[in-house]
Parts: sequence; C-alpha cells; structure tokens
Amino acid sequence: MKRRDFLKLGGATAFAALFGGCDNLPKKLVPFVIPPENYTLGESLWYASVCRQCPAGCGIVVRVSEGRAKKIEGNPLHPVNSGKLCARGQAGLQALYHPERLGRPLKLSGPRGSGKFTETSWEDALSILMTGLKKIRAEAPGSLLMLAEPMRGHRNLVVHRFLRAFGAPAPVAWDPFGHDALLAANEDVFGIRDIPEYDIANARYLLSFSGDFLETWLSPVHYGRAYGRMRQERPTVRGKFVHFGPRLSMTAANADVFLPIAPGTEGFAALGIAHVMVREKLTPSPAASSLWTAGLRQMTPETVGEKTGLRPSDIEAVAREFAGNQPGLAIAGDGAAGCTNGTFHFSAAALLNVLAGNLGKPGGLSFPDRRSAFPRAGADASTLAPLPESGFASVRNTLEKMRGGAFQVALLSGETNPAFTLPAGLKFPESLLSVPLVVSFSSFLDETSSLSDLVLPVPTYLEEWGDDIAPAGHSGDAVGLLQPVIEPFRDARPMPDILIAAAKELGGPVAAALPWKNFRECLEQGYTGMGVNLENARREGGIFSRKGSLSRTAKRAGNPPLPKAIEASYEGDAARYPLVLHVYPSIALSDGRGANLSWLQEMPDPISTAVWRNWVEVHPKTAESLGIADGDGVVVTSPFGSMEAFAVLHPAVAKGTAAMPLGQGHTRYGRNAAGRGGNPFSLLPVKDTAGAKSHARQSTRVSIAKARIKGKLVRTVNVEGQWKYENIL
Amino acid sequence: MKHKWAMAIDMDRCTGCGACVVACVAENNTPTAGEEEAGKGRLMQWLRVSRFWKKEGEETRAIFVPTPCMHCEKAPCEIVCPVYATYHDEDDHLNAMVYNRCIGTRYCANNCPYSVRVFNWWPAKWEKPLDEQLNPDLSVRSRGVMEKCTYCIQRIRRGKETAIKEGRKIRDGEVMPACAQTCPPGAIIFGDLLDPESEISRTVKDTRLFKLMEHLGTEPSTVYLKKQKGPGR
Ligand code: SF4
Ligand code: SF4
Repeated sequence: MKRRDFLKLGGATAFAALFGGCDNLPKKLVPFVIPPENYTLGESLWYASVCRQCPAGCGIVVRVSEGRAKKIEGNPLHPVNSGKLCARGQAGLQALYHPERLGRPLKLSGPRGSGKFTETSWEDALSILMTGLKKIRAEAPGSLLMLAEPMRGHRNLVVHRFLRAFGAPAPVAWDPFGHDALLAANEDVFGIRDIPEYDIANARYLLSFSGDFLETWLSPVHYGRAYGRMRQERPTVRGKFVHFGPRLSMTAANADVFLPIAPGTEGFAALGIAHVMVREKLTPSPAASSLWTAGLRQMTPETVGEKTGLRPSDIEAVAREFAGNQPGLAIAGDGAAGCTNGTFHFSAAALLNVLAGNLGKPGGLSFPDRRSAFPRAGADASTLAPLPESGFASVRNTLEKMRGGAFQVALLSGETNPAFTLPAGLKFPESLLSVPLVVSFSSFLDETSSLSDLVLPVPTYLEEWGDDIAPAGHSGDAVGLLQPVIEPFRDARPMPDILIAAAKELGGPVAAALPWKNFRECLEQGYTGMGVNLENARREGGIFSRKGSLSRTAKRAGNPPLPKAIEASYEGDAARYPLVLHVYPSIALSDGRGANLSWLQEMPDPISTAVWRNWVEVHPKTAESLGIADGDGVVVTSPFGSMEAFAVLHPAVAKGTAAMPLGQGHTRYGRNAAGRGGNPFSLLPVKDTAGAKSHARQSTRVSIAKARIKGKLVRTVNVEGQWKYENIL
Repeated sequence: MKHKWAMAIDMDRCTGCGACVVACVAENNTPTAGEEEAGKGRLMQWLRVSRFWKKEGEETRAIFVPTPCMHCEKAPCEIVCPVYATYHDEDDHLNAMVYNRCIGTRYCANNCPYSVRVFNWWPAKWEKPLDEQLNPDLSVRSRGVMEKCTYCIQRIRRGKETAIKEGRKIRDGEVMPACAQTCPPGAIIFGDLLDPESEISRTVKDTRLFKLMEHLGTEPSTVYLKKQKGPGR
C-alpha cells in the first residue's frame, strides 16, 4: 500500500470533539512554600515539580511571577538532589521559552525526510492520526509501533496499556546511555538485576573504573552532593578517591590519584586489585577462598600491569589501601560500559564490592526495591518503575522488522533522537521512511521528528502533569510529582492525553483499558488509591517517606562467580586507523538533547574549556606524531564514517587514543545546534556489548588528518597565569 | 543593619561541574554572547570555572577554580573609575556598580587582577519569548556599561527587606546567591562575617584558607579552601 492511499482511508472522524470534555489547563496548582492566600501581584510563588532534562529525576521548585516561570532551583525536600541542580537542570527555562518550540501541529508538505512542513489545526492533525489508527486496528493491530525514550511512572503505564489493548507490541525504548552493563553485572555477581544505591557520602574510599559519576552517569546531582559530603562533611574522615581510566575526565580530575590505563582494560585493573586482596587475605568476605581460582591467581599485578599499563606497585598499594579503609566502594561508569567487554568491567568492579563486604552497610551499596513502592499496582508496577535499559537490542530488532514492512504506523515520542544517536549502520532513517505513517510527539523539530508525516507539539516538562520514580538517590519509595508550573505556553497537548482521547474514540477494549477522563485523572486515581494526600504531595513535589527503606537482600552476595575476563575488541585495521576512539557524553549536552539551548552551548566544558563546538582530544605525543597542533582543524575517520572537529591537546588522555564528547553535530535541531562540527555517533559501528546487548560505543579505531575547516575553536582563556597551581592544590 | 558578606569556595568539594555558571546566567539576566563574540573573549558570564593544567612532572593534573568577583575590601577597580560608577557599599561591604553612571572606560576591568568584570559590547537581545524568563528583580544592562558578579545583590536586598518586615535579624543561610544554592557538592559557602555564629565565620577559621593573589593586598571577600590529600584528616 502506498502512503498516500493509506492516508486516504478511514475518512473523517469525530475526533475533534474528543478534547472538548478534557481540561488541558491546570486548574489547581499547589504552590511550594507560600500558601496561595498570600498571593499579590508582583510577588512570586514557587511550585514544586520534577526535572526532565535527563533521566535522573531531580526535584525542582520553579519561581513563578505573574504567570511566568522565572527561575528553577532544586527542591530541598527531594531525596535525589536535596535542593541542588546541575547546569542542565538550571537551563530548563530555555527549553520552555525556546523561540523554535513548536506551537502548532505540523503536516508534511514535501517528500518524507525533507523537513518541509506546514502548520495545521489540531482537528486535522488528530484526524490523520485517528484515520491511521482505525485502519490498522481492524486489519493489523500488531503493525502499530511506539518508539520512545525509556519512560517511567503513569506516562509509561498509559502507553503500555494503550498498546496492549490495541494489540500492538510493547513500546520500544531507546537511551544511548542506558545501564545494561551495570544491570547484567549485578545479575551475575549479586543475583539481582537492578541498579544499586551507592552510599558515596559515607564511604571512606572510592574506586572508580571510568566511572564518571560526577558528570552524566546515573544521577549526577545526587552523587555530586554525596561526593562533597564524602570529602568534607565528617569531622574526622575525608574519603579518598582513586580513578582508573583512559582519559582524565572532569570526574577523574577530582580524584586524589588518577591512574591512567589503556582503553578497555578497566576490568583487568579491578581483578588485579581483587587478586592482591585475596592473596594477602585482606578481605573479610567469606567469598574470598572460593574465588582463589586459577582465573584470579593469574591476575597478578605484573600481568595486569602489562595489560593496563599500570605499575604493579600501584595496584598493590591501591588494593591494600582500599582494604584498609572500609567502608569502600568500587564503581564503573559510562566510559567502561561502552566497551565490547563492558559487562566484564562492571562485574569486576562489583566483585570488589563483594570482597569489601559492604553490601547493605552505610558507605557501601544496597539494592532498594523500587517496585514494591507500588504494592497495589500488580503487573503495572514494572511499568511504573522500569529498569533503565538502553533498549539497543530491541531497537535493532525493530528496525529490521520495519524494513521488512511489519509496521504501518509508528508513533515517536520523548527526548530520544535515534536518527542522531544510533550508528548509521542500523539505517534508522531509511527504515523509518519505509513506514507508511509516522507521527511524532515532540516540542522541537530534530533529526528524528523531521522524518515524520505529522508532528504533534507536546508541552515541556514544566507544563505537564506527571510522576517519576528516580533510578538512584532514594531507598525505593520516593515518587516525584510533576505539575504544570505555568499555563501551557504553546498550543501543545500532552502525549498521554492524546492517547487517552484516542482510546475513547477507538472504543472497545482500548477505551476500557484507559478509562480516565484525562491523564491528570489517571495520576490522581493512581495515588489516591494508595492512600496519598495529593495536595500535600504536590506542595512538596512528591511522596518521599512512606515507609522508610525497602531494601532487598542480594541472593548471591555470599559467593559470586569470578567474572570471565574478556578483551575489548575494536573495528578497523590498526595500520589504517591508528587510534582507538573513546567517546563520552558531554556534561552540558548529554547525548545531544541539550544542544539547542544557548546557555548550555555557552557553558565552557570543564576540561577543554571550549564553547559552541566539538573537538577531539589527543595526547600531545600522539598529536606530534600525527603532525597536529592544538586548535588545528581535523577530519576524524572511522571505517563507518568521518567528521570534522578541532584538535585539543589533552595531556592526560591515553596515548594512541582519540577522545570525543558526544552531543554536537546536529543537522536539524535549530539554530543553536546547527553547524557545530560533526556528530561522533556517526563514526560508531553496529556492535554489541557482550552479555548486555547494549551498544558498544568504544569499539572502533579512527584516523585523524589535518584539514581546513571553517572557524576556530573558542575556549575561555585562563587569564590568571600568575596563580600558582601549587597554592591551590 | 550592617553586614559583611563573604564567600568561601571549598576546592576539596568543587568538582568543576559548571552548574554555578548556568545558575548565575539564569539569575542575573546575563545575555548569551554567541560563538563569534565568545571568540573575541566577550563571554558575559560573571562567574567562570578556570581550569589549570599541571603539566610538569610525572602526573598531569587538572584543577578547577570557580572565579566570581572577589568583592575586595581594597578594590583596585574602584579607585580608577573616573565617575565613581563602581564603589564600595559600606552597609554590606559589597563592591557595587551603578550601571547608569558607568561611562564605559573599562579602566576598572583593566585594573582588576582577577579579570572578573565583563563589558556590554552590544545591546542585549532576547528573542521572544526568551525574555519571559528575565528576572524581574534586576535590570537588563545596556550597551556600553561594565558589569560583574554582585553576590546576587537582589537576593541580599530581599533578605534584608523580609527581615526588617518581620522585625528580626537575617538568619544564617537565608540569603544565598544562585551559584551557592545550586552547587551540587556544596562547595560554595556564603554568609555574613559580622555574624559570629554563621557558617562563613566558622569557615574562614579553617587552616586550609587561602586567597587568590594575596600578595596584592586587595583583601578579597571571596576566599578559598585548599584541596586536601589522602584519606583521614
Ligand atoms: S541531573 Fe538530570 S534531572 Fe537532575 S538537574 Fe541535572 S538534568 Fe535535571
Ligand atoms: S557548581 Fe559547585 S562544584 Fe560545580 S563548578 Fe560550581 S562551585 Fe564547582
């Protein structure tokens, strides 16, 4: 069936009437501190809600003056961030007031993928959507696909229920920085497939294996705050922090000791430490004796030293110090997760936690049970608090099916931008173009929404109802509540409301599965059913302490198996592509979603101090051998693509490595994002992380060649040359 | 009521994350410079996180130094202003600016050893509806004037007014600049040195305390606490 014919089927609908009975305007907001009676013109009110600039789920309070949001601060009552916010959280207002935000539905007016759209009415847009849905509802309900970012809370519940009742497959979620390797490792080592809570604040010793927990990892504000407390909040203890990794990242720069290692060898470094701890009987763990297998015995400091580039004496010293300064923690992060052997790195780090014997203790790690916070939700509990997976395997599968013609209608939602963040080898744009009807729920036109037939503008998180269960930072029972802090700023409609209205129009089991008047009612019923006083909860920004800790016990903490040591592998011939590519999420732009906000573009990167552009970091020795100087324009080429960037000489990146921040290189994400160099995602191969089925980002080699490119790299100059480093350290 | 506002930045807590930079921009109606102007050194940020490399020796290290205005007691910027646009506020011990008196000689910026003053080279543009975000508590500065960190003077004023209205003293922690409020690891401590019980008064007794370019005798109100090393104390 051709797309045009497809669209013609179905005819007019009565969809326009659907939103008649549905209130889109916030009727009763509950201010945070000042009760509503005190309201006078010119005074401000603060409303509590939840940040959605990244998946960490921090609580926010927003200052609203005369109907306009003026400033976002952290919610001091929220356990994840305790009143603090990161740069991205601070920049939320720019997304709300973005001049390029969509305010009317857009209908394709050129060929698909051309990016040519014309504005249309909501009636028209919704009737196109309903026509498509009704058509396949009868013939092939399984050909409806929903592709989104990983969602949580009732938003996810609505989507799941809608699709299930429709007869469609479960939604496919994609987050390039999902935590598959961490989940898989915890399953292997602890017998629990979940995210632990790391009590960094009370640790005396912290070992990190490319674990950039201060930048973009699980919950940067939560762990940033914990880091500050670990360092200076106890009267007699200052926690020590040792970082292993191929690059001195911002997190690594904060370590007492930074031990550079070869890319992809994090797990070996951890096993070397485990070897010393077991050999020298430095561990109280009963697991130690059964772990003294041939596998661990051969991980001597010398062998590990050869693999990683570490000095054997350093491995021994760290092992002894770690064992002698308990409670201690070992964590691995994004930099290690992206290797083909990422799961191994995480398992080896988890093993150190077992050896330290700090499971369930202050200063160690525990496994809160986020699902038991919803005892009445039954099977829905897993959709309210799902695991933070990347979804790479299912995206890959889905794209194959898509090309085989399995899908007639695709709904795209959320901040995820697969056309930008998936490796080119997966052919995302081509696959999507083969779907007859594609509808995006989006606030902006980006690389992905530009590929659709129809774009339905949705509100930003500051104008929506919702709830959120954060993946870290609480004992399992904390729920953040979103409320619209101002009246919707554009003629946007929330995605769950559109689905609920569509369900009504479809009737039958779909309508029965989504029986609410609107999304707000769905939320309210969910929580009042749990005996929550919603008014209080909204005032405080969530439900924070219902029963105290809901910690689970690990099934296998006693005697974990020794993780199987796997070497990292790389695509590309070493002669042609001499450098290993190490990519990392940008602290300002994340996977690229922040690139349209000028405040984030203009926030100097902590390490390179660059603004507005992308760059590639190489060691001065490596650069010398390539004939590249600091600030030179270069072309970075992998077997899968090539892109432009500026060279930055980085004195503490592994030799033979090219390191690049992800996030720049947009082609369709507005003025602030465009023309900022190439997209490093375009260099990546289609490759899995063994055992976790996530995308192995750190698995290709590249070459770098000098090139003439437009402009120059702008960095903030340190004018304070006379300040002595020694005085400050 | 007199105060002596001061800030201490704990280098052992600061991670260099830059949240303070964006919080400051959001609070103080600071315009975005854009790539081209930034390339000419015209970033308008009042607070920067300077990054130093230590390249010598075996271990390369990096260090982050958040640098707002030092609010010097003996401020080199004040004495050179021909029109007294920048002056010392005796009630709050702030180094303050009268924007509409400034004639843009930029002499103050030349004389500031910490290079924390920024100049408005162009009329600030807020494309609609970005202007809806503007903080109503302070003005948008015009082209041709100098500006800089004020310790969020609008928040200090509000704190004082509230205290007077309620007939009490300002409580410690009640007035908090945007950077200190947001800083995830809690590296920025702010308060009144004339209040002997305040956290800042306790903090400045720390043996780790140091000042930037102390030898110049500017007597900065923004002070730093050194990074420590190793476990234990
Ligand atoms: S860590 Fe994530 S959720 Fe928290 S403030 Fe930053 S962007 Fe928002
Ligand atoms: S917000 Fe705090 S930790 Fe981050 S750079 Fe500023 S002072 Fe340092």
